[in-house]
Amino acid sequence: MIQIQNLVKRYGDLVALDHLNLTIKEGEVFGLLGPNGSGKTTAINCLLSLLRYDKGSITIFGKEMHPDSYDIKKQIGVVMQNVAVFEQMNVQENIDYFCGLYVKDKEKRKELVEEAIRFAGLEDFRKMRPKKLSGGLLRRLNIACGIVHKPRLIIMDEPTVAVDPQSRNKILEGILELNRQGSTIIYTSHYMEEVEQICSRIAIIDHGRVLATGTKEELKRMIKTGETITIEAIVLDDTTLSEIRQLPHVFDISYEEQTLKVRLSSAKHNLIRVLHYLQEQDISFGRVFSELPTLNDVFLEITGKELRD
Amino acid sequence: MTVFKGFLTITKRNMNIVILYLVIFLTIALMVDKMLAPSQAGTFEQETLTIGVIDKDGGSLAKGLSEYLDTWHNIQNLPDDPGIIQDRLFYRDVYYIIRIPENFEQKCLKENTKLEITKVPDSNSGIYVDQQINTFFNSIRTLTAGGFSLDEAIEKTNKYTASDTKVSLADKNSNGGNMPGHAFMFQYMPYILISILCYTLSTIMIAFNQTDVRKRMLCSSVTSRSMNLQFVLGYAVIGTVIWLICTLMPIGVYGKEFLQDPHLPYYLLNSLAITLVSLAIAFFIGTFVHREELVSAVVNVVSLGLSFTCGVFVSLDVMGKGIKTAAHFLPVFWYEENNNLLGYNAFLTSSQFADLMRNYGIQLLFAAALICTAFAFRYHQTRSDA
Repeated sequence: MIQIQNLVKRYGDLVALDHLNLTIKEGEVFGLLGPNGSGKTTAINCLLSLLRYDKGSITIFGKEMHPDSYDIKKQIGVVMQNVAVFEQMNVQENIDYFCGLYVKDKEKRKELVEEAIRFAGLEDFRKMRPKKLSGGLLRRLNIACGIVHKPRLIIMDEPTVAVDPQSRNKILEGILELNRQGSTIIYTSHYMEEVEQICSRIAIIDHGRVLATGTKEELKRMIKTGETITIEAIVLDDTTLSEIRQLPHVFDISYEEQTLKVRLSSAKHNLIRVLHYLQEQDISFGRVFSELPTLNDVFLEITGKELRD
Repeated sequence: MTVFKGFLTITKRNMNIVILYLVIFLTIALMVDKMLAPSQAGTFEQETLTIGVIDKDGGSLAKGLSEYLDTWHNIQNLPDDPGIIQDRLFYRDVYYIIRIPENFEQKCLKENTKLEITKVPDSNSGIYVDQQINTFFNSIRTLTAGGFSLDEAIEKTNKYTASDTKVSLADKNSNGGNMPGHAFMFQYMPYILISILCYTLSTIMIAFNQTDVRKRMLCSSVTSRSMNLQFVLGYAVIGTVIWLICTLMPIGVYGKEFLQDPHLPYYLLNSLAITLVSLAIAFFIGTFVHREELVSAVVNVVSLGLSFTCGVFVSLDVMGKGIKTAAHFLPVFWYEENNNLLGYNAFLTSSQFADLMRNYGIQLLFAAALICTAFAFRYHQTRSDA
């Protein structure tokens, strides 16, 4: 459905996109995951022909994308990072206005607007002006304006920034619902939990390059970490730490403020083995957690830094 | 036509400001018109005073003078009592007192002795009566020197005085040399047009120029050409509506007088030209100002600045030379030049007509220059964004 090949975008000496390659299939919820400044928004802007790029090609629905590719644009819905609505219009007028940019038929537009209002849960706020809405409701209005014309492809650029958890969950559920209704979704975020929750395939991007692509399981399989064990309220000396580091499958440990974090490669009985060692040494400890690898672990291993650095 | 409809929706939200400006405009224009326009232009009324006469002579010349003055004024015979005279003057029962001495004919005509006059100090009407008395004696002297007897001279002088003289006023604009009322309204029109159009359209432009709204619109299936045409249509419709309202007001207030003005089409053309200039200024401000809270301040500075420096509120005749020279570089000056040409001349000479056309052209050039500058900035900005 979408093919981005060798995309290069420079701002003077700064290379924002460095030979970026992506392939997105129809029906996917495709996540673009990367820290702030990694090139996600630049990639989206190039994809939408809002930015000129220096090199490469972009193909959407089998056709090359240009600023005047209006037949392609007709099938795309965009939800911007910042709320893009008119302060002078109320909720319904805003949704109707943005729907009107795609749908000329008044009756059909009326139906679509009603549907979008229901979808975003804005029934009780339809006559309110944006400045009267809470942050969460504003974001929902922003989404409603972007998806009202039922596009085949929806591009969402960090739609949940500065949104309360309740509204965030509602937005994420809505995105999955749109996908179930047949829309392909490109979702950019630096919140790995969100990407992990809704995306069927993910590309990790940093410094304008795709570092890894795949389903979350595939990405996790790419890294060494199979399990991370966290033990709280534990007092250890250097000798003990050194011995833990020597346990089978352990490849990294960290010990800070009486909390031990042990990273192990995928193997059976990792937790039992660590606990057995502590018991043997008669070392007391508090709570114990065992976690499977997260996308943050993937990012950490690939880039050497935390996703939110 | 979604963009155009959006344009109109946002305009509707600013209607209260438009109405407020129109009410201010109408009130100011009518007030100034009533204050400055002469209430009885073209009509004259002779002033009649009460004149006291103390006649010590009783001769034919003394009677002739009294009859002569009686043509315009009320004559009262007074006793020669200083107390009564002072009282009458103090209470303004009489404004002017003439004491005619004994042997009046000999003293006034042959010895050139001055008449004894008592009048309200520093009054214009006193000077007026002085001139009339001088005229009477000059006439008598001329006629007697020409061979007429004193009685004949008195009779002829009083006869000529009684006849009416027809006065023709050299009136260049059929309004007693003053600007007609509707010209006052057109004089203030630039302020209101610039204020309303700049405020309304700049607010709309800022709404449409929000980075993310603009991006969202550029991502849509509406072509850039269609979008631009809809913006132009929006500007044209709003400009036309405001222009119509502003030109209908003089029609509503002055009705037939305005409609019968031979310069009506030129007034309308002039107001249309300044409307185009106002639209261009609005586009210019909307391009450079990106915050709504700044619009009001910028629009006030621009509209009041242009109005004060170009003779909208205060005639340029009372301004300094420097301001007058600077005003030549502003479009409103050329509008006011045309308005004065039309207001003060009922018929235009060919050179005045040429000036009128030149001033229309200059206004249009200003509009074109402002639009081109704004477009150049927008083009540069778009390239920087990309």
